[in-house]
This record gives sequence, structure tokens and C-alpha cells, in this order.
Amino acid sequence: MAESHAAAVAHSGGHASIRTYINVAVALTILTTLEVASLYIPGIPNWLLVTALIVMAGLKFFLVVGFFMHLRYDSSVMRALFVGPLFIAILIILALMALFSAFILLPHHVL
Amino acid sequence: MADHAVAAHAVHDPNIGNTGLDHRKMGMWIFLGSDCMFFGSLIGTYLSYKGKSLSGPGPHDVFNIPLTSYSAALLLASSLFMVLALARLQEHRVKAAALWLFLTAAAGLHFVLNQVYEFTTFALHEGLRLSTNLFGSTFFVLTGFHGAHVTGGVLWLTILMVLALRGRLDHRDYTKVEIAGLYWHFVDIVWIAIFAVIYLIP
Repeated sequence: MAESHAAAVAHSGGHASIRTYINVAVALTILTTLEVASLYIPGIPNWLLVTALIVMAGLKFFLVVGFFMHLRYDSSVMRALFVGPLFIAILIILALMALFSAFILLPHHVL
Repeated sequence: MADHAVAAHAVHDPNIGNTGLDHRKMGMWIFLGSDCMFFGSLIGTYLSYKGKSLSGPGPHDVFNIPLTSYSAALLLASSLFMVLALARLQEHRVKAAALWLFLTAAAGLHFVLNQVYEFTTFALHEGLRLSTNLFGSTFFVLTGFHGAHVTGGVLWLTILMVLALRGRLDHRDYTKVEIAGLYWHFVDIVWIAIFAVIYLIP
């Protein structure tokens, strides 16, 4: 059991400090507040709201994965095991939206 | 020299393979990768059918953004509690780790109860059920599967907490708690995506 722990620590890479965890939590709180507040900005163009929400959600996503899940400190194999399927998941979403004409990136005559 | 050290671990520890990585942790990352594609399909389906319901109610007739924002904050806070539990276990402070595990599970349970309240409000007061329209079908399936994941995580964390309180979990079981943490953070990042894409984007 002790060997298991030693090996796990040796191969799991470094971890962030408590201070870093608190800083990440503060950043996540600020981003979530901004996300919700952006809904109540009068007259904000739809494209700007959607872009801002996607960027802020993406930042939150990578903060949690990178620091709380320790992926930025972990082995590149672990990183590939998660990031590869993540790209496939994003492609699935974009493909479904394009197939069902829910996605406006394609010209209308193509849809 | 380092190679010899890795080889020695591989010989003595059945959880470390030829790659020098922990099998259990690698298995969890593979599971999370597959779960990413699962939720990607559900989110893609929701977005594909968005605005195509033939009858109401629609998303913005029923969504309670303040309640959902509170739920999002609960899950984010629980992620912080989870890493603090892991840090305490690493410092050999098992009781403190058990406390943080309890807080993580409690925040998760609160999230699930909020979701139960949201679903029953939609069904009983707003007339939105699984079979009402395309929005109801895609919304309940997506958020219901997420809620099931959170419920599973709460049970897992509760078991770890009980083991810690009974003295059957200590710093040597770090990887077990780390793997539970990976799962827990994953349900958090899925909610980050659902919250932005389903609830906030008009």
C-alpha cells in the first residue's frame, strides 16, 4: 500500500498549492458572476453575448481541468486521453448542429 | 537510474504498468474521455432541436436563472472542497480530509435537491414534461443524466468519508481519493458547459 502511494505520487506529477486552488476558485467565482451579469446588460448584441459566454465558460473549463484535475501537471498520456475525446465531443456537437441546420457557420445554400 | 526506479515500482506495485502510470488513474481518464463524447452527443442533440418545438413552453418560459446560478456556484465550491480534501489527505490529516469530503458531498447533494425542485416545478407548474415537446425531451435527458452523475459522485464521496472516519482510509490511499476527485471535477466541468450553453445563451 505504501509502495502504491509512493508510486502514485512519483508518477502523478506535481500538484498546485492551496493558495493556487484558492486563486482558481476566486477566478471561477468572478467568471460565473460575469456570465450571469452579462445576461442583464441592456442592449448587448446577441453575437457579443454568445461569444462572451462561450469564452468565459471555456476559461472556467480549462481552469478546473488544468488546476483542480491537475492535468497541467500530469503525464502527457493522461492529457491525450482526455483532450482527444474532448475534441471529438466538440466535433460531434458542431456536426449535429450543422446537419440539423442549427448552426449558422455554413452558407444557406449549403444547408 | 530513474529507469531502474520506475522498473522497481512496476515490479512491486501491481497498479503501475509499463508506462510508469497508475492503471486506475489512466482508466478513469479513459472513462472521462468517453463520458465527454456522451455528453457532447446530448448537448449537440439539445442544440440541434433548439427552437424547433411545435408547442410550448420554451426554455426561457421556465428557466430560473438565479436558482441555476446558485447550483452552479455550489458545484464550483464543491470542486474547491474536493481539492482541499485531497491536500489534507496528502498532509496525513485524515479527519480534516473527511470533513472536506463531507462538505463536497453535501454541496453535491444540495445541487441534486435543487435539480429535483427545478424538475418538479417544471412538471407541476409549467407543464413541461419529458414528452411535452422537443425541448422537454432533450432538456430532461441531458440534465437528468448529469444529475445521475452527481448522485453517483455524492455516494462515492460519502463512502470515502465513512472509510476515512472508520480509519480505513489514509494518506496511502491518496490515488483512490484523487480518482474520485477526477470524477467529481468532471461533473463540475460538464455543468459549466450545460450552464452556459443551455441556460445562459439566449
